Amino acid sequence: MAIRILLVDDHPVVRQGLKTLLEGRVGWEVIGEAADGAEAVEKARDLNPDVMVLDVTMPRMNGLEACRLLRTQAPQLEILFVTQHDSPQMMREALDAGARGYVVKSNAARDLLAAVEAVSQHRVFTALNGRDAAGVR
Amino acid sequence: MKLRILLADDHEIVRRGLRSLLEKHEGWEVCGEASDGRDAIEKALQLKPDVVIVDIGMPNLNGLDTTRQLLQHDPQFKVIVLTITDSDQVIREALDAGARGFVLKSDAARDLVTAVEALQNKRMFFTPRVNDLVLAGFLEKGHSVTRNDPPKLPTLTAREREITQLLAEGNSSKEVACLLNLSTKTVETHRSNIMRKLSFHSIRDLVVYAIKNNLIQIEIPPPPPKSPAGSTAV
Repeated sequence: MAIRILLVDDHPVVRQGLKTLLEGRVGWEVIGEAADGAEAVEKARDLNPDVMVLDVTMPRMNGLEACRLLRTQAPQLEILFVTQHDSPQMMREALDAGARGYVVKSNAARDLLAAVEAVSQHRVFTALNGRDAAGVR
Repeated sequence: MKLRILLADDHEIVRRGLRSLLEKHEGWEVCGEASDGRDAIEKALQLKPDVVIVDIGMPNLNGLDTTRQLLQHDPQFKVIVLTITDSDQVIREALDAGARGFVLKSDAARDLVTAVEALQNKRMFFTPRVNDLVLAGFLEKGHSVTRNDPPKLPTLTAREREITQLLAEGNSSKEVACLLNLSTKTVETHRSNIMRKLSFHSIRDLVVYAIKNNLIQIEIPPPPPKSPAGSTAV
């Protein structure tokens, strides 16, 4: 299945790592990148991706704020958080903000592909480090 | 002959990004990857890379202590430290540990190739802020200026720093003993010495010390939304 992905993280090296992983899947395409929440909102409007891979902590506008805005502006867009925050509270906040998935950065190489696949099919995917392996609902 | 680089970062996704960035450069190869400081030392001794790139905030053994230990093993190692902050204290510690390069993670896509090139040409690479600090230190030398540095705590040995990091990361004395191949009794003795040297009475004091001294790093969550009114949870 073809999936068009927008990558959002303030560290270009992290975006590059995520990109090499995602583009290893046939049919998946990273159609754009953004370095903060405000740029993510703008690029989501211009590029109309299927899935946004979004960091939490970023300058200008953080990922949670961007997610809340996007829920009203682009309801069809599925949002997957990939973050350093290995915390159930932060995960709850992300899901409450309208995200469909939550993956911890230290496990991204293990969980990212399954998570993107799940959220692109409108299924919830959450995985915290050490507590719960990948969980899909 | 290719320049061989060892990458040490606890995030595989970051290592992937760094590898992809470095391997675009003709004549360079990433000869190995490590996910913490201890792994980095083991692989560096085994692979003898030309350049070692270490993240500061790694579990088990942080990047600064990894740099110190690598250079104790072999002063010929050329180490570039990757960091999320260029505070004065981190810069001083990186220079003191013997790093020949200092690159901010946020600028790695721009600066890392230049830093490796510098080391390849037997030069050093530092961010402009490091250069300013070094210059300021040089200009201050010889002047009788009273500096406002905080009073220094007693120095811990390399082993005590390792144990402090592992305890602050939440490991018990038994777990530390297992990780370092020591007896629990030896770890308990080190632990008592550390607490006595620093005049600490609780593990909480030790955690605060570890954060303040960059033995461990924490991620601070973003603040909650400013105005709850109007925002809808979906």
